[in-house]
Amino acid sequence: MSWDSFVWFALGAVLLWAAGAFFAWKERKALVYVCTLAGIAVFFAFILGMWISLERPPLRTMGETRLWYSFFLPVAGIIVYSRWRYKWILSFSTLLSLVFICVNLFKPGIHSKSLMPALQSPWFAPHVIVYMFSYALLGAATVMAIYMLIKKKSTEKEINLTDNLVYVGLAFLTFGMLFGALWAKEAWGTYWTWDPKETWAAATWLCYLVYLHLRKAKPGEWKFACIILLVSFVCLQICWWGINYLPSAQGLSVHTY
Amino acid sequence: MWTKPWNMREGFLLGGGLLLVGLLLQVTLGPIDWSLPAWPVNLVLLIFLLVVIGVMYALRRKVYAFEWMMHSGAAVPCLVYAAGLTVLMGLLPQVRMGGVPWLSQMLQFWPFVLIWTWMMVISALAALNHLLRWKVKEIPFILNHLGVVVAIVAATLGSADMQTLQLTAFTGEAEWRAVDETGRMVEPGIAIELRQFTMEEYPDHSPKRFASDVTVYTKDGKNVSGIVEVNKPLKVNGWKIYQYGYDVMRGSNSSYSVFQLVRDPWILWVYIGIFMMLAGALCLMFFMAPKPVKS
Repeated sequence: MSWDSFVWFALGAVLLWAAGAFFAWKERKALVYVCTLAGIAVFFAFILGMWISLERPPLRTMGETRLWYSFFLPVAGIIVYSRWRYKWILSFSTLLSLVFICVNLFKPGIHSKSLMPALQSPWFAPHVIVYMFSYALLGAATVMAIYMLIKKKSTEKEINLTDNLVYVGLAFLTFGMLFGALWAKEAWGTYWTWDPKETWAAATWLCYLVYLHLRKAKPGEWKFACIILLVSFVCLQICWWGINYLPSAQGLSVHTY
Repeated sequence: MWTKPWNMREGFLLGGGLLLVGLLLQVTLGPIDWSLPAWPVNLVLLIFLLVVIGVMYALRRKVYAFEWMMHSGAAVPCLVYAAGLTVLMGLLPQVRMGGVPWLSQMLQFWPFVLIWTWMMVISALAALNHLLRWKVKEIPFILNHLGVVVAIVAATLGSADMQTLQLTAFTGEAEWRAVDETGRMVEPGIAIELRQFTMEEYPDHSPKRFASDVTVYTKDGKNVSGIVEVNKPLKVNGWKIYQYGYDVMRGSNSSYSVFQLVRDPWILWVYIGIFMMLAGALCLMFFMAPKPVKS
């Protein structure tokens, strides 16, 4: 499998996801699941193919992390759909996934086979995959926050969904961070060095903790909580890719990719 | 303001006060020297911290502020300050010397450390509060709040006891000497003899794998043979031996191998904290998230 065949797998997956999203509006539940899951299977087949042909997990380059992000968006979408029955969620996850697929089609990045020794660890895959799943969930929570802020009102169901996305997203964010710490101990002898990526990971984690505690302390202040979610998501983006453009992180981070 | 029940406003003010105190300490005492709390000073600090937390808990009915600190309303301002300072730390280059005064050495900056300490104290108080009115359903809360305290307090107080040395071993010679971070010669009490260095390359000559076949001798007469490679350290007599470098010019023909030796006596507690947090994160997902509402 090579990057050249990505366009065909992506096309197949997106068409299936779009069909799933369409059936969600038409309230044909069985077809929603069949189409969406088939799309997820097609997309995962490509990831597996890349994994085998690269002889390493496709998780090293920015393009490869985007690949997982496009994969996890519909996964998160179908989970939310199955619990809250939002008709629009699959349209949203498909669209956002398509954006990341397009970025990868037009700017695939470097996809060489080499994987430096530090990355050859059983922690590598769980560390990145868990983070990408968390980013997908927290991205969905951000969209909910923007939606409620624009509408200037919120329903109990919407807030409940947002809370759930953040709780599960934060749990995965914590896994990603701590897997990274455990891995760093095995690779470098220290679990936390305040490398710029780690500093931003900590800042992001703290921001989402602000949200959780604020929701407990002042359940009525949903607008303030939504704004916290926007700030948190900005931190998350800086942590993921924005850091490459920050002068403070140049040449200092072990997380350069 | 300051009428009971307190909420977030009071917390923001108290946090602001803490920042001021921190600035005063920074001006009078200078940046924090993290090599000072080495054993047994860190033990004394730990006992002091535990006593303070215990006393605050015991006085919670008498001193309203202590009662208030256990609630989520107190956590919000504290987390906002901690997040804000951490963002600043991420925005400004962190350098050993120079940079932006104070903020470029954030870890030695009193206000940063005081805010994080405050966070540990309120998290510990909240954990203690839930622990002492024990019920099975309190476990998720306790794991999250106690886990983060155990991990961060052990990591911070233990940092001065952590030893990181570099040892360069040549083929066929047992090397007993290493250098510490300041370049001083240290004898770690173990010797490493490099038996063979191996290296594989990718077609583009970037390193694929490098490893050292070594024998480690200890002062108490043990000798341990094993392979040290990146991500696979070797553990001998409390030291963890990491593959660090080699003669880059000669690649697979390198006649020496550089090892990093790390001893971290507090690591067990950091791991306990981390595993509590991991279990706590699982609970966050399965037990703490609000039940879904369907229309």
